[in-house]
Amino acid sequence: MLRVEGVVKSFDDFTAVDGAYLTVERGETVAVIGPNGAGKTTLFNLITGHLKQDSGKILFKGEAIGGLPPYHICRKGIARSFQIVNIFPRLTVFENVQVAVHCQQRRSSTLFRPAHTIAVKETRDILESVGLSGQTRNVAGSLSHGDQKVLEIAIALGNEPELLILDEPTAGMSPEETWTTIELVKRLALMRGLTILFCEHDMEIVFSIAQSIMVMHQGRTLVQGTPEEIRNNSFVREAYLGGA
Amino acid sequence: MFKSIVHSRGSGIALALLILLALLPLIVPRFFVYIFALIYVTSLLAMSLNLVVGHGGMFQFHHGVFYGVGAYAMALVVTKTSWPLWIGFVAGPLVAATVGLLIGWFCVRLTRLYFAMLQISLGSLIWAVVFRWYKFTGGDDGIHGIHMPPFLASLNHSYYFILVVLAISLVLMYLILKSPFGATLQAIRDNPQRCEAVGIHVRRHQLYAIVIATFFAGIAGVLFVVLERSVFPEMLFWVMSLEILIMCLLGGWFTFAGPMLGAAITVGLRTFVGRYTEYWTLILGIILILLIFFLPDGVMGFLLKTFRSQAKEGSERSPL
Amino acid sequence: MGGVTYGPAELISQLLVGLSRSMILFIVCAGLSFVLGVLRVPNVAHGSLYMIGAFVTFTISKWIGGWVGFWLALVLAPLVVALISLIAERALFCHLYQREHLLLLLFTFALSLILGDLVKIVWGAEYRSVSAPDVLKGSISMFGSSFPRYNLFLLVMGPLVAILLWLFVNKTKIGRISRAAAVDREMVGVLGINVSWVFAIAFVIGCFLAGLGGALVAPTVGITLGMDHTLIIEAFLIVTIGGLGNMWGALLGSLIFGVTQAFGVLMWPQFAIVFPYLAVVIVLLLRPTGLVKSVW
Repeated sequence: MLRVEGVVKSFDDFTAVDGAYLTVERGETVAVIGPNGAGKTTLFNLITGHLKQDSGKILFKGEAIGGLPPYHICRKGIARSFQIVNIFPRLTVFENVQVAVHCQQRRSSTLFRPAHTIAVKETRDILESVGLSGQTRNVAGSLSHGDQKVLEIAIALGNEPELLILDEPTAGMSPEETWTTIELVKRLALMRGLTILFCEHDMEIVFSIAQSIMVMHQGRTLVQGTPEEIRNNSFVREAYLGGA
Repeated sequence: MFKSIVHSRGSGIALALLILLALLPLIVPRFFVYIFALIYVTSLLAMSLNLVVGHGGMFQFHHGVFYGVGAYAMALVVTKTSWPLWIGFVAGPLVAATVGLLIGWFCVRLTRLYFAMLQISLGSLIWAVVFRWYKFTGGDDGIHGIHMPPFLASLNHSYYFILVVLAISLVLMYLILKSPFGATLQAIRDNPQRCEAVGIHVRRHQLYAIVIATFFAGIAGVLFVVLERSVFPEMLFWVMSLEILIMCLLGGWFTFAGPMLGAAITVGLRTFVGRYTEYWTLILGIILILLIFFLPDGVMGFLLKTFRSQAKEGSERSPL
Repeated sequence: MGGVTYGPAELISQLLVGLSRSMILFIVCAGLSFVLGVLRVPNVAHGSLYMIGAFVTFTISKWIGGWVGFWLALVLAPLVVALISLIAERALFCHLYQREHLLLLLFTFALSLILGDLVKIVWGAEYRSVSAPDVLKGSISMFGSSFPRYNLFLLVMGPLVAILLWLFVNKTKIGRISRAAAVDREMVGVLGINVSWVFAIAFVIGCFLAGLGGALVAPTVGITLGMDHTLIIEAFLIVTIGGLGNMWGALLGSLIFGVTQAFGVLMWPQFAIVFPYLAVVIVLLLRPTGLVKSVW
């Protein structure tokens, strides 16, 4: 479904991504791992259009999407959550998700109908499936960090994506919150038939839910394979797991 | 569509206020009728600015240009052409919105400070042309004695006309802010990057908002002409633009009606203070400083916060 | 537009007029740009401080008279302005540094309103004028036409200020700290330097330059209320096309502004002020972030 081939991206003299390769099949849950600075977030930014690659190809469902602006890529079926919490702090939880749903229904520019009557059911459904139904009226900025990260995911779901990209979805969470979120991700993938691409530092999580793992090191893809293959790969061991 | 207004809490208050204001010319002396009409015009202008500043998060620092352009468009149509008068009324907001579209198109490509600077420079260019083109725009004198249709001949009639137009405009603005368009605009204000990631074409949306805001600014310009029968190049000067910004700050730019309150206070104080001293600007500066230090949410914002926190305390104290 | 033809003598003469006006604009804009670079706030009160510089120069040269009065005013007026800015900064401005930039800008606007009316209170609304000392009066003949001596004086002062400012920013400790704070204020704070004092110094120096510009312009124009309003918009535009926070950008912007205005006077006197604005618009459409790379 998603194919990244030989993508390179540099900033001035620093090459953040230097030959990345990634294959994500429909319905899979794929993880990207690598030490800090390996280029994971940059790769995600390239896929979602926040950055433009210098060379290489990014194909989604056979179509080249490299260089398209983020809102265009979103419309093609890719949604994303951010590593640093990136919600709408002044809006309520309900409104946060509703913005995404409105856009999905192409209603963002509707002028003369009250917002709170449009796309209510879809928004409620999403909030229920992530477990935030009890907080719909709260201002998003007042939520706990863990809940804000879940809200992140909820907003991304508002776009009814086919591919959901999660950038360190459990960063900064307590252990219980982490496992709840991971269960949530697993459930969502099953219920909605989502394809999931995520990156994480917590190896337990990665090995428990990923069906395919891609390892990055210094901007380059070392290898991609099943958890077993990765666990036994000596290069990976040396570069990453051994020292972790 | 109107259900949401009828059901909202503020509508009862608004209706009562409207009736009171409609009765005003029967109660108060002529001078106050004039002042209130001026407040209405200024309120509409401040509300239009707040659409893009308070609710849209854009640095629209030269909004006065669109106000002035709308007013001059009407004035020029009425005084320089022999077209029917209603064209002048329509030309004001249309020309203002067109200029808004042109300037906005260039500005939305830029971030915040550069947005502001480009707008200030384009606006100053227009001001400079209007200020110097004596033959066409009256130069630094402006245009005076603009002829109005018979139904607007008296001050009272003008007052009602302005009040009605203001009321309709406010209803429209309220609907716009409560619509998905408005919700998206506020989301863009809070986090434009996230909006892009959610599929919103941020620049286009901002441009739409600018066109709407400048349209209403043009209406305010037309209303000014109805009231004063004149136009002045000062309407396009950057000082006017900053004054409107202050009105929004004073009233509270994250609230709906805040800018109206700010406009009312500013015009009211200016008139009142103006009787005793010619140093109104000094007073305005001091008020602004007090505002910045003590009431950054503006008067309305402050009132709403105290109101809400008292309501919350009340409900917490009740048994259950 | 008029069918007058201009020979090289008139063109050069007008060019020099434009250049000397650019020098004054540069001195003021260098100050504005400096404040903008370090504090990240466009100082709307800059125009009012310029105006105060001119009025104070008037008062001092009137009291003391003669050429002594003028030269003394040239030194004292900027100092008075610097003092006023220091008071405003320490009493009020410095408490706002943690707040949003928009509020800082509105504070400077409030300050400009207050200072503007204070000038009205102290000096009244009439035109004032200052005469240049004898040594700078009159003109010199060069290249077939006459150049006012005062303009030549300005052409010397401009580069002088530029050099001094450059030396300050690059060779003195305070200057270098200011420049560092412009680029990364958190880092400077981490290094144990009191960022608030750096801001104070930068603000005062920027305002000193505004006062100096006002003092220098005094003999060449009618000193009136409203000087602040016209100047601040020109200064803002110049600083923007030059590149925010960059002194050389301010110089380039001032040159463009002054020269286009001078030639505007020649080509279409009625619309002379449109020319520099048009030049600004063109620059901004082509290079919205300014001609020279901004400090941040």
